[in-house]
Amino acid sequence: MKNTIVILLLATIGYYLGTIFFGIGFGDAHFANGVKDTYLALTTSELKVANTVTSIVVNFRGFDTLGEVTVLFLAATALGGILYKKRHAVGERTVLFPASSIVKSGAKLIFPAIVLLGAYVFIHGHLSPGGGFQGGTIIATGFLLMLLAYDNFSVNHNVLSFIESFAGIFFVAFGLAGLLISGTFLENFMPVGTMNDLFSGGVIPIIYILVGFKVAAELTGVIYTVLHEKD
Amino acid sequence: MVGTPVLFIAIPLLAAFLIPLLGMIWKELVRIIPGLVLAYMLVLSVSLLSYVLENGPIVEVLSGWAPPIGINLVFSAFSGFLVTLMSFLGLIIWIYSYRFKRNVDFEPSKKYFILLLMMITGSIGIVLTGDIFNLFVFIEIVGISGYALAAFYMGRNSAEASFKYLFMGSLASAFLLLAIMIIYSQLGTLNMADIASKVHLMDPTYKVVAIIFFMAAIGIEAEIFPLNGWAPDVYTEAPGPVGAAFSGIVVKAAVYAAVRMVYTLFDVSGTYDFLLIMGLITLIVAETTALRQDKLKRMLAFSSIGQMGLVLIAFGIGTLEGVFAALFLMLNHAITKSLLFLSGSYLVFNSKDKYIKEVNGLGKFMPITSFLFALGAFAIVGLPPFAGFWSKLSVLTAAADSNLILIIALILIVSVIEIVYYFRVVNRIYFFKKGESVIPQRPTAHALLAMITLGAIILIIGFYPDSITGILHKASADLMDKTKYINDVLSAK
Amino acid sequence: MDSLYKMIEYGIYSAAILLILVGLYGALTKKSLIKIVIGLSIVDAGIHLLLVSIGYLKGGTAPIFSPGYEDKADIMVDPIPQALVLTAIVIGFAVTAVALSLVIRLYRHHDTLQIDDIKNLKW
Repeated sequence: MKNTIVILLLATIGYYLGTIFFGIGFGDAHFANGVKDTYLALTTSELKVANTVTSIVVNFRGFDTLGEVTVLFLAATALGGILYKKRHAVGERTVLFPASSIVKSGAKLIFPAIVLLGAYVFIHGHLSPGGGFQGGTIIATGFLLMLLAYDNFSVNHNVLSFIESFAGIFFVAFGLAGLLISGTFLENFMPVGTMNDLFSGGVIPIIYILVGFKVAAELTGVIYTVLHEKD
Repeated sequence: MVGTPVLFIAIPLLAAFLIPLLGMIWKELVRIIPGLVLAYMLVLSVSLLSYVLENGPIVEVLSGWAPPIGINLVFSAFSGFLVTLMSFLGLIIWIYSYRFKRNVDFEPSKKYFILLLMMITGSIGIVLTGDIFNLFVFIEIVGISGYALAAFYMGRNSAEASFKYLFMGSLASAFLLLAIMIIYSQLGTLNMADIASKVHLMDPTYKVVAIIFFMAAIGIEAEIFPLNGWAPDVYTEAPGPVGAAFSGIVVKAAVYAAVRMVYTLFDVSGTYDFLLIMGLITLIVAETTALRQDKLKRMLAFSSIGQMGLVLIAFGIGTLEGVFAALFLMLNHAITKSLLFLSGSYLVFNSKDKYIKEVNGLGKFMPITSFLFALGAFAIVGLPPFAGFWSKLSVLTAAADSNLILIIALILIVSVIEIVYYFRVVNRIYFFKKGESVIPQRPTAHALLAMITLGAIILIIGFYPDSITGILHKASADLMDKTKYINDVLSAK
Repeated sequence: MDSLYKMIEYGIYSAAILLILVGLYGALTKKSLIKIVIGLSIVDAGIHLLLVSIGYLKGGTAPIFSPGYEDKADIMVDPIPQALVLTAIVIGFAVTAVALSLVIRLYRHHDTLQIDDIKNLKW
């Protein structure tokens, strides 16, 4: 009975989504009067940022990104609150199979490379594909690898929360600086330089690097909290 | 002017990021900082509101790009009124929960204050933003802090309630994203004013599907029947102040989003009737269910859902009087239901299952709390001379002006049901003998201060409704004027 | 060439919509909490795929003005859906993390993941 209702519901949703999206047309230029062209024009002329996605994420729609890092911060906070146990220092992990020495030395070998790649990706977020979120995630995978390979690998929770808080505070502070110096929140108040230089785009790379640190710290914190959960 | 609307978001975020650091220095700061921030937000909103009532709306451009390129915040009479209400309630709830449960450890209480502050900020963001994707982000901020706050108590079935909320909330965000996607694929813009000015270009099928997805998403957050299955559980299992914050702040923000869509964004005929009918069904189903509840907070939750149905009815009437009545109702409901949740959670403070029968005879042992609960109950059912009377009256007159006789009859019948179940509780408090095992709990001084403030406001609005109606008239005129909204936003620099 | 695009269009859109439907089916009918969370994640994935694909432009290139592409703005795909998807992915991750932590809490409390055994509250 329940299954029939669900399938009917899904059929209706599927039918309407189908009519809607097959009508849009794949690869057509279907919004002539949209804001897309303005973004593409402004990012080269005003911001000197090569990666348009970055200029949208950090500048044009930077307020969304501030909300987004807040969501991550809240998720980390929520996780700590939901899984909190009275009188429990972070417990020992239960490890069913200890990793072999090949995995261990391989992880040790590749870990610096992963962190370096992550840092590269978020430092060059305004020039090439990638950015703070992507780079931060890459760094967090490095920590995940270490946590999987070494059952006694530990991350200092206080350091993580310091990074988290400081990156967030500086993000908001840069926004407020824009408000004070140029008149609007998150406005780009530094000289933009020339296109495709590493030091270009004003505050955009700086904010994206902060986002990278924050995402890396928060993702690592989330993984660490869940891994050290004992029943 | 003491600031710009963006500070409503920026300052609490700054505080939320700072609290973990400051908590390492002095633990008490974790409790104090949110209060300072909320007090600042209240001052800011009052001063901005008085400015806006004189000089017209403030449209704040963000990142230095005028709409529709950048995101913008709109502080008009309508949104400003709601922001003021939310900051005020936020401050009250903070005062109340300052020392709510003494036995809560430092870590959870730190998280509680951060999440509560962010939930209020997210709701304010929903009201202020002028961009639909930004709206989605703020709904998620509210959602995630809501899931965590609902699961705050370890011992109860709170994780289950929270999981239900999370399940519905994820579906809501999926639907919302689909609606945003459909609108964007047709109009190429995400700015609300820009969408409103271009929406006639949209194919009707796309428009209808988008608004259905949108209403399904918002309906989950605004507790519209049949999407409100999560609400009673969350209200029952969450801490008392969080229940008050849900019914007073979060739901108001969700209703704002629904109303903004219907009144400003879309021009589909029939959406007003849709609001009216959904509101009516919600009202009737919720109030009849409330009659059958045996747990106090569950009863309050269903009553809260019913009141939101009444608000939707008033918005669905679609006239200026209807909007006025709806805003008046939102104000009264926010204040009264918060008072009921706050005093009610002290009435059942020491009981495990929160049954209504456990409040028997507490009138003698907790005189002030019981009195305030009774005051709230009288106000919410609409007895004169309390605040609720005037708002219910204005709903009825608005309906009468539009010749909706059936609606009037149904509202009156439902009011009788409301009276029955509220008076049953008040009767138990004062005229029944106290149970042996029930231990009365003395409210803390902070909690008393918070509850007495709310009670005083109910009395003030009840005796001098004119003190508030001026603002409400301006706010409702502001909502009705769609062209002015579009022009104000699109001409902002 | 056009028929190829037609095929890709139907392929991508049907795949994305199918993902949404499969995810919804899993989330609505499965009895295990973990499977419900997986279902919700699949819904998210489908929506993200759909959102990215509506921004595609025939013969388009990435919206990055690398050297040599400075004047190619007219053949660049729409960058806005990509930016939105970035935000949506992060939010989806946050919700999934909270959901899994709730599942851990429920498992700690009830020693089971089957929703039939957990129902203490009425729906």
